[in-house]
Amino acid sequence: MDTQSYLPVQPGVGMGENFLSLDDIVLSHERLPIRTECRFPRLGFLEKSSDSQDIPEGTKMELPLWLSKGLYEKKRRVLSVELPKVYREGWRTVFNADPNVVDLHKMGPYYYGLGSQMLHFDSPENPEIAQTLLQTFIGRFRRNMDSSQNAYNEDTSALVERLDCLEKALFTSGQSGLNSFQSWEKGQASQLTASSLVLNYRKRKITDLQP
Amino acid sequence: MDSSEVEFLAEKETVKIIPNFSLDRIYLIGGDLGPFNPGLPVDVPVWLALNLKQRQKCRIVPPAWMDVEKLEEMRELERKEDTFTPVPSPYYMELTKLLLNYASDNIPKADEIRTLVKDIWDTRIAKLRLSADSFISQLEAHAKLDNLTLMEINTIRAFLLDSLNCMYKLRSNLQPGSSKGQFTDY
Repeated sequence: MDTQSYLPVQPGVGMGENFLSLDDIVLSHERLPIRTECRFPRLGFLEKSSDSQDIPEGTKMELPLWLSKGLYEKKRRVLSVELPKVYREGWRTVFNADPNVVDLHKMGPYYYGLGSQMLHFDSPENPEIAQTLLQTFIGRFRRNMDSSQNAYNEDTSALVERLDCLEKALFTSGQSGLNSFQSWEKGQASQLTASSLVLNYRKRKITDLQP
Repeated sequence: MDSSEVEFLAEKETVKIIPNFSLDRIYLIGGDLGPFNPGLPVDVPVWLALNLKQRQKCRIVPPAWMDVEKLEEMRELERKEDTFTPVPSPYYMELTKLLLNYASDNIPKADEIRTLVKDIWDTRIAKLRLSADSFISQLEAHAKLDNLTLMEINTIRAFLLDSLNCMYKLRSNLQPGSSKGQFTDY
C-alpha cells in the first residue's frame, strides 16, 4: 500500500488524450515526419536547413504531434503526415511475428499512445496499424504479467527496460498487488506505519514565505 | 482493497473453541455468543477466539478441513483439474495464516498444513494467471470464474483491471469514430 500526495492522471491511450496526464503531454511533443502541401510564408526560421524566408510547398520536415494534429485537415491540405518507421509495413511484420523480442522503450517509448494518435491522420493503413497495436499488446501481456507478479524484492530495472510507458504503468500495478500480498503474508501489514505525507511534511518557517 | 482488509473480513468466520473459564451469554451487535463453560465447545468468531487464545483462556479446535489428509486430497484434485475446485472455506488462506500463527500448538502437524495450503494457493494462482492470459489473448469480453476467493482476486485485481482498460481502448481504435466524442471530466 503506497500513499501518494497526488493521484497521477492516467494517459488516455486511445485516440483521445487526457489533458492533465503528464504522459500525454510528453507524448504530444513526439516529432512526426511531415511534408508541407502549401507555402508557409515567413516561417522559414522553423526550417534550419534552408535560408529562405518562407517554407516552400513540398518541404519535408519534422513537426511535433500537437502542431501536426492542429494543422492537419482533410479538406484543406496544409500538410501530409508520414508514418514513423515503427508503424510502417516492415515493422508491423516484425510485431506480428513476435512482439516479445522488440524493445518498445527504444521504439517508443510511447508506442501505443503515438500509434493511436496516428489514427487521426487518415492514412489507408489505419486499420492495420490499430490491429497491430492490439496484437502487440496482447502478445506481450503474458510476459509482462508473469514478470510483474513474480519479481518480489529484486531489481526490476532489467525487466522494465524494454517496456513501453503504458506497460510500465501496468507493471507497477502488478507489483503493488504482489507487494501488498507478500507484506501481509509476512505479517508486516498489521504494523502501523507513518503516512508518507506526514514523513515529508516539514514545518514551514514564516521567513521562507516572506522574502 | 488491501490484504489486511481481506483478513479483517476473514475474522468474522466462526471457529470452535474450548474455553477454560465460565461466562454467561454475551450480547453483541453481530449476535449472541456463549454461554462459556470450561470444557464445553462453543462457536465464536475468529477475532474473539484469537483474543482468548492469546490470553490463554481457551483451546482452539481447528476447522474440519484443516487436516493433512483432506488438504492433500484437495491439492491433488486442484492439480488434476483445469478449472478451480471448490475450496473448503472462502477464507482458507487467511484462516490458515491466522490460526497457525497464533494457535499452532492446538493444530496437529501445523508445518505440513502450512506447506499444503501454500501449495494449493500456488497452484490456484498459476491457474488464475493462465486463465487471465487466455482471457486477454482470445479478446473475450466477459468470463466466469467460480470458486475464486477474495484474497486470490485481490492479488491480481489492479493489474488485470488496468490491462483490460488499455485493451478496451486499443480495441476501440479498431472502429474509427466510436471513441470520438467521449470526454472525461476532471
